[in-house]
Amino acid sequence: MIGALLYLRLMSLRNLVVYRIGRLRQPKYLVGTAVAVAYFYFVLLQRPAMQGVPAAGRAPAVAGAGMIGMALVCVGMSALALIRIAFAWIAPADKPALRFSEAEIAFLFPAPVTRRALIHFRLLSAQFAILFTSVLMAFFFNRLGNVGGNRAQQAVGWWVVLSTYDLHLNATNLTLARLREKASGFLLWRAAAVAAIVLYAIAVAWSAASFAGGIQPGDLASARGADGLVPGLLRSSPLRWLILPFSIVFGPYFAAGMRDFGLAMIPALLLLALHYYWVSSSEASFEEGSIALAEKRTAARAAVQRGELPSIGSSRPRGRAGPFPLSPSGPPETAFLWKNLLSMRSSLLNRRTVLVFLWIILCVSLGLRPLLAEYARSNRAEAYGLLIVAFCGIVAAYTLLIGPQITRQDLRNDLQNAEILKTYPIEGWRLALGELLAPTAVLSLVLWICIIVSIFALDPKGEARWLTPGVRVTIILCLGSAAPLLCLMQLIVPNAIMVLLPAWYQASRSRGAGIEMFGQRLIFGVAQFLLALLVAVPAACAAALIIFSLQWVFGAVPAIAMASAVVLAILAGEAAVGLWWIGWRFEKFDLSMDK
Amino acid sequence: MIEVEALTKRYGGFTAVRNLSFSVRPGEVLGLVGPNGAGKTSTLRCLAGVIPASAGTIRIAGHDLATDPVAAKRALAFFPDEPRLFDYLTVRQHLAFVARIYGVARHEELAKPLLEELELVEKADVLPGELSRGMKQKLVIACGLLHSPSVIFFDEPLTGLDPLAIRRMKDSIMRRARGGAAIVLSSHLLHLLEEVCTHVLILKKGDKVADGTIAEVAAQFSNGEPDVNLEEVFIRATGGSET
Repeated sequence: MIGALLYLRLMSLRNLVVYRIGRLRQPKYLVGTAVAVAYFYFVLLQRPAMQGVPAAGRAPAVAGAGMIGMALVCVGMSALALIRIAFAWIAPADKPALRFSEAEIAFLFPAPVTRRALIHFRLLSAQFAILFTSVLMAFFFNRLGNVGGNRAQQAVGWWVVLSTYDLHLNATNLTLARLREKASGFLLWRAAAVAAIVLYAIAVAWSAASFAGGIQPGDLASARGADGLVPGLLRSSPLRWLILPFSIVFGPYFAAGMRDFGLAMIPALLLLALHYYWVSSSEASFEEGSIALAEKRTAARAAVQRGELPSIGSSRPRGRAGPFPLSPSGPPETAFLWKNLLSMRSSLLNRRTVLVFLWIILCVSLGLRPLLAEYARSNRAEAYGLLIVAFCGIVAAYTLLIGPQITRQDLRNDLQNAEILKTYPIEGWRLALGELLAPTAVLSLVLWICIIVSIFALDPKGEARWLTPGVRVTIILCLGSAAPLLCLMQLIVPNAIMVLLPAWYQASRSRGAGIEMFGQRLIFGVAQFLLALLVAVPAACAAALIIFSLQWVFGAVPAIAMASAVVLAILAGEAAVGLWWIGWRFEKFDLSMDK
Repeated sequence: MIEVEALTKRYGGFTAVRNLSFSVRPGEVLGLVGPNGAGKTSTLRCLAGVIPASAGTIRIAGHDLATDPVAAKRALAFFPDEPRLFDYLTVRQHLAFVARIYGVARHEELAKPLLEELELVEKADVLPGELSRGMKQKLVIACGLLHSPSVIFFDEPLTGLDPLAIRRMKDSIMRRARGGAAIVLSSHLLHLLEEVCTHVLILKKGDKVADGTIAEVAAQFSNGEPDVNLEEVFIRATGGSET
């Protein structure tokens, strides 16, 4: 039976590879693959030369720093694994499940296959993903620092770590399922398991803290001290006994040479075998839960492909009141704004929330001034002000660059409904404008908050004489009025790419479809960035020229106002052309040709 | 009124519909039939303005679909075979949205009998995700009929409907036709077409094989036999291809 399941898995893999290679004949996949390969080559395979020192000739301190970094990564991973397992005991699923696809359920569950064979199939299936991830992690973490072994050893090391975790989690779920089936003592077992995990975590934290308390500041600075820090920590009692299971699991990864690696593999494989026995000997019923899990995963994948975030929890979405009353007459663009705001989880964007948000902005803006005035007495005020400005600048930049990729409730999300949209009696540009209004509104709101907060946080001591309250208000008004147009332009770019190259765009949205998809997403990301720069250049140049030349004549405030008027005109013109073009293209493009 | 002249639809080098001409007058119901891949859906999509025609002219209620698409679309309704709905709009919100798009004043008054007729009253405040396929189909129909279109295109309208809903749908189609609507109906269910349609147009590999009233088309392929039904006509006209 396992032979048949192995055949299914291997044939599926082979056909997938053949299919992927075959579709490289299409330029969109070929280019995507080339870009992704180049990216992985430069990011994963090329070790960064630190300060001009070749990788092989790095100072011991650098190697020690790498070891500490990797040790911290592994500690973090172990902690996350522990939390995940504790969570499984604290809040077990109603129907514990193993991960099968819907097709696997449809074919294998009704088939004459034992439950144990299904478990084996599940474990076998997971191995393909684990092997791939292990190789990827070996290359990725190899960049952070040398932990001793070569990449092959590190890949095997990661395989041990990931396989043990996968087996442990499955074993936990199946044990929970079995305990639930027995009903009696279910709560008691869970309470005991959670208590054990919590006590274990406290003991580990206490032991590590004791060791950390004994470290001298000089130890970190010296190469020898840094080198010996990690082994010292791992050898300290009682920590070495407490973390023994984790040491065994991570042992092969940290092994320095072939001999150490071989010695580390023996306990690691024994532990793995114990886990395997634990899982494969389970008699728990997992079918019902697995079906529910498969349906949930399919729904989540469909949501991602629609450009939405998969819903948290299992509750089904409910109908909500519209963001505002929609009258039957008026511009049709408003109907699209209304519809798309609704689909953006209108509970977050209703009037009450917006009012609360505005109230908070007002309070923060007013409250910030006295706060900064207080700090102005100390020399830290400037730093705090700059910190806030920098923070707002980062948020604003992310909003402009990443925001359009998150707020997809526009033409991109409605492409699936294009058949209906195209029957509506509306000009293309109006449909495009309507579709883009909702994400523009949301992104603009974020930008306005950033602008208001950062302008009030600027120069808290009031040392810059030119930054009068009038200038501050003028800058807020000017930037604030330009923000919606900037957001609109940023949204026009991906929508224009979508109607220009719908097949490329759709391909880039499909999830988990390989290296070529990753490459395409990279291309779209870079294209978005470059186009954003391109549309901003004329407006920025004009603004700079006007402010520079007119401020000497009329003063800062009128110069900024005049520059912003020109910027608004340029951005509005660009947006109008973009909307008209998207509308025209949407009217003309043939849905059936692009599927 | 639907007037189609020399309609051609090409996908790259493949011609899905070739030089197709016909007209549907108010009160007429035209059944569009043909084997799989005959060009029925391409034709309907071109007529509804969903995809552009490669050549030819289409006039909907007197408006050229190519030069005056907004006016033409204001008069038509298209019901695709697969109900496509907005995930986060409830049944009632779908109607409100469509009312705004088509500028339907007092849409709530119009929507009420529609929802009652289509048995959607109890589901008025739920999202499409909670509706069965048949219910979704009904909602699409309610949205399409809200603006009282004078030209209606149905692509496999009975898919997913229960027997009672099928009966109601047939009644609704005939009632709309009696009310003066020009209707084009694409379906593989030939008994439905026999029952509902006044005219029939048979397509095969993108070419028109026959066009006229059901009696005229039957006479064309009866070989002198009496009482030849549409199924027999279809098989003879398409050279024995399955539907």
